[in-house]
Amino acid sequence: MYIIGENIHIISEKVKIALAERDAKFFQDLAVRQVEAGAQALDLNLGPRKKDGEEVFPWMVEIVEAVVDVPLSFDSTNLAGIEAGLKKVTKAQPIINSTSAEPERLEKVPLVAKQYNSRLVALTMGKSGIPVGADERVTIAIEQLIPRALEIDFPVSDLIIDPLVLTVSGCQEYCPELIEAVRTLQVAWDPPPPISVGLSNVSNAVPRENRPLINRVYGAMLMGAGLQMMIADPMDDDLKNVIRIIEQRDASTPVGRLYLTLHDRIAAMEELTPDDVDMSDPEQAAIWKTVQILLNRVIYADSYLQQ
Amino acid sequence: MPVEIPKDTWTGAVREVTIGATAAEGGTRATTVTIGGATTMPFMHFEGSIPHRPVIAVEIVNHRPDDWSHLLLDAWGDAANDPAAWAKAAEQAGADLIQLSLNQTGADGNPITPESAVTATKAVLEASGLPLLVFAPGQAELDNELLVPIAEATKGERIVLGIAEDKNYRTIVAAALANDHLVSARTAMDVNLAKQLNILIGDMGLPLDRVIMDPTTGALGYGIEYGYSVMERLRLAALQGDAMTQLPMLVTAGYETWKTKEAKVGEGVPQEWGDWTARAINWEVVTAVALLESGADIVVLRHPESIARVRAAIDELMAVPAAG
Repeated sequence: MYIIGENIHIISEKVKIALAERDAKFFQDLAVRQVEAGAQALDLNLGPRKKDGEEVFPWMVEIVEAVVDVPLSFDSTNLAGIEAGLKKVTKAQPIINSTSAEPERLEKVPLVAKQYNSRLVALTMGKSGIPVGADERVTIAIEQLIPRALEIDFPVSDLIIDPLVLTVSGCQEYCPELIEAVRTLQVAWDPPPPISVGLSNVSNAVPRENRPLINRVYGAMLMGAGLQMMIADPMDDDLKNVIRIIEQRDASTPVGRLYLTLHDRIAAMEELTPDDVDMSDPEQAAIWKTVQILLNRVIYADSYLQQ
Repeated sequence: MPVEIPKDTWTGAVREVTIGATAAEGGTRATTVTIGGATTMPFMHFEGSIPHRPVIAVEIVNHRPDDWSHLLLDAWGDAANDPAAWAKAAEQAGADLIQLSLNQTGADGNPITPESAVTATKAVLEASGLPLLVFAPGQAELDNELLVPIAEATKGERIVLGIAEDKNYRTIVAAALANDHLVSARTAMDVNLAKQLNILIGDMGLPLDRVIMDPTTGALGYGIEYGYSVMERLRLAALQGDAMTQLPMLVTAGYETWKTKEAKVGEGVPQEWGDWTARAINWEVVTAVALLESGADIVVLRHPESIARVRAAIDELMAVPAAG
């Protein structure tokens, strides 16, 4: 699993303060810790930075590249700011996060990616928003995003399709469809484009204590559908342990076996059944309940684990 | 040519909830009303059983409301001056249940007191033998101040206390628990929040056969399709076996209707809109019937004529067609 570290994110209060104070040490520390924890790239989500993007992005590149060598992902809608940052990159091939299929974005952003030899995350979202159905999202990728790359001679291997994870709290019907979108994208084009998702979006607006469980169960399900790249928290040890269990096929613990079964069932286009789960083990029962909400079989509620 | 009607098989059922208690059951009601129990979507008689008809609650207020359309006040006449008389009139007009709404000001224009709220509630209980719902004004602190003494003064009557909301349910649920009442749990057109509130209420130890849920809705032309979708989704989940969605639903069709321009405004509207009174009643009836078809077990109405017409619609919807 290729993890793009998500922790330099403007939603975080600490990041917000450190950015306001141009606290280089804070960002260098966060960058190093993510890479040491296994991040293979770092997402830099600094918000739109309408006023100072062209100053902030190059500054961030400079201080982060001083301590790590991994690719940097510019997560912003401010194209001028991104461009200023790209000019400053001296190490690994960077990533622009993101374009969508909205005509104006799709016109401009891929050209910038091509000019600076950057990879490009492309969201399966058109001007009428994010479609619920897997097929509609795949259609946006193969009828709009990939053709645009071909049109400007941008390598499809550098076009990272993001079929968009939405939260189980309020957009529950999207959750199973996203799994199928990840699955289908891999056979929709030859050779298949890289696919990445923002995993923790699945638990936006979920009470903090339940977020990691939902993230790692969904992670296991998405790996079953073939996902190999995600923006996620590289310092979430429980998530990384589930990824390790699946990658190494470690069946040495009951919970590990359940994650493997879940992964394999999704891979086979089947569903987990109650017989797969030891309901007397609270951890397994919680995984079962989480699978049920993520497949939209049971309506989500903040206290779904207490039901 | 014989046509085979496709049928869904459901594993779950809506909970049965009984409102009101007779003398034998510890209350003073002449009758009780049981709702819920369905094992299929609304009125799909060929597919499952619908043991109890949806019912009509009629909304009355603790004193003559100054914010109601005069079409309503004219229709109820002098009865609207006094909750006891109003309850009697509502019963005569065909109500299955009375819903007493407590206004935040009393008849004298001063803030309502717990004593006057208790007096009004008791007067209604004495005037009509129908089971009762009592809804406080919807302000957390005031609601608690009113509903606790009402619950205590009417212990055993199995009144539905409202409105329990996510920010204010503990006191109301505790009052229902201690005094053998029920609660109505209201959330704002959101399946996740509706289910969450049911879980929280259940966690307090109130048996779920003493809870009804009010998913809120809009009137015809004012978001009814959102309300419809939420109710449909909750009911499908209930039939699929999700215990925390298996509660009967109440919707305030009258309240929503009488906020609409079509019902409220008689002048300065296009002539094609036709007779004001007829239009307003049509609006309430169509809103209520659409909500019945999306799964409402209780519709709360305001106009006396709407009661008879919605009742006739329920009669038709509940008629089981002869086989073949």
